[in-house]
Amino acid sequence: MQIYLPIAELSINIFVLLAMGGGVGFLSGMFGVGGGFLMTPLLIFAGVPPAVAVASEANQITAASVSGALAHAQRGGVDYKMGFVLIVGGAFGSYAGAWFFAVLTESGQVDLMISIAYVIFLGGIGSLMFVESVITIIRRRRGDKPKPGRRPRTWVDALPFKMRFRKSKMYISVLLPLVIGALVGAMAALMGVGGGFIMIPAMVYLLNMPINVVIGTSLFQITFVTAGVTFLHSVNTQTVDMMLALILLIGAVVGAQIGVRVGAKLKGEQLRILLAVLVLAVCAKMGVDLVVQPDELFAVFPAAEGDVH
Amino acid sequence: MLTGLLLLLAVVAASPARAERLVTDLSDNMIDINARFSGTDLMVFGAIDMDIPQDDGGHGVVVEGMDYDMIVVVTSDPKDMMIRRKERISGIWVNKGMEELSGVPGYYALGTTRHLDDLLAPAVRKQYQIGLDNISLPLSQGLDAEEREGYRAGFIRNMKAKGLYKEEFGNINMREGILFWARMYFPANMPVGDYKTTVYLVRQGDIVLSRTTGLHVDKVGLERMIYNFAQQSPAAYGLVAILVALVAGWLGGFLSRKVS
Repeated sequence: MQIYLPIAELSINIFVLLAMGGGVGFLSGMFGVGGGFLMTPLLIFAGVPPAVAVASEANQITAASVSGALAHAQRGGVDYKMGFVLIVGGAFGSYAGAWFFAVLTESGQVDLMISIAYVIFLGGIGSLMFVESVITIIRRRRGDKPKPGRRPRTWVDALPFKMRFRKSKMYISVLLPLVIGALVGAMAALMGVGGGFIMIPAMVYLLNMPINVVIGTSLFQITFVTAGVTFLHSVNTQTVDMMLALILLIGAVVGAQIGVRVGAKLKGEQLRILLAVLVLAVCAKMGVDLVVQPDELFAVFPAAEGDVH
Repeated sequence: MLTGLLLLLAVVAASPARAERLVTDLSDNMIDINARFSGTDLMVFGAIDMDIPQDDGGHGVVVEGMDYDMIVVVTSDPKDMMIRRKERISGIWVNKGMEELSGVPGYYALGTTRHLDDLLAPAVRKQYQIGLDNISLPLSQGLDAEEREGYRAGFIRNMKAKGLYKEEFGNINMREGILFWARMYFPANMPVGDYKTTVYLVRQGDIVLSRTTGLHVDKVGLERMIYNFAQQSPAAYGLVAILVALVAGWLGGFLSRKVS
């Protein structure tokens, strides 16, 4: 059954969209990742204009992260003060990102930027994940114990503007969380991702936050930042397709449930290797598309699209 | 321009003397784009009346022994569009050149009884902008001939690939030289707006008569609401999109916890 997407202005099979939502939801349930970094490229491969894919995916991530954030909040798994600092950073980052996105849309380079950003990030994260899981597997075979959690004191502790975060039992500079928040906000605006795959490692390894508040605080920040991004893209480029976001969400909710159950039966490292391979495959496809001569060198757009006022 | 005017005069002058009449209509004069819209067919049909009584404006003589041909052209309102050209810059394909095209049809479909080359002289085709080769594209003056041709061909190729521009020869059916009909397909990505369906009656390389019928294409229902809302009040749209996402996300999470 075809469904017409009002903002993307194309007709697409609703079952294809549900399957994409379900598939990515399944993976995010299984691996505990947000899935935006897979969904946006998939939408682009499916023919959705990249700008619409990014903006609508930000909208979908708001929906996908709110229930998780609420669940963690009920269990006391959110450091609100830290969340607030991250959101302030996120607000600056997403504002700058959305502005840059609108400028790039105007100059016709937004698709290129999205592809390059994906190739860099997916390539980087995918390789790291792959290497890390291979090392973990090798260590496990040898019977080594994993290293203890908390990092030693570093340059992070020397930064000024310190603030006390009671929930996380930390006394650290606000500069680093602001920068991390801003980076994630910019990524949300430019790539249509929640940024959890950057933020969670950063919170664990850089900020040294306790594990029990990391995911909740990350989801808390992502909900607010992607909501902000949705608003900015709606105003700047009118590229948020509510219908698309909702259909993807329905698939994702169902898929995530199944994913969580399947994931519980599989081994962590093997799962991560699988995810790494998947991420690298998407990265490779986008990278190849950048360098191989396209069949069609010309592309037509409505002139009004993406005018920056 | 002068030849154009002369041709037009010739058509106007010629038609009453021969006294044919063309009656055309569409199977529908509205296309509604709703959520289930995946393209549609319309029937363009009509009749050629060759025997018009004197008191009805004709000369009462049956026009016989002439071979008629028909051309159907469906166009949307002129739109402003943009075409970009990719170039390889340090190994990566980047949008480099750009041309703004103001006032070009966003949809153009042509149907005929026979191949266009056998029907109309090139000059006439150009004058009436009949056929994809004859759509006038307002490209910048600064381009050289090769660049112009590149952009022109690139634009037409793109529009054809999107199903928005097409030519079909021999798809108009005629019965007994009087009744004709053609099925025209409109894809899901057709632009909204007012369309014109023009039927040309052709005889011996000349356009004898033409009749134009309007067609209105618009998004309806939820599609229209969402689209207009996004365009007209983007800030409110953004807030609603966020609210819908929050409620849907909360509900989804709530339901899936119930299930598990």
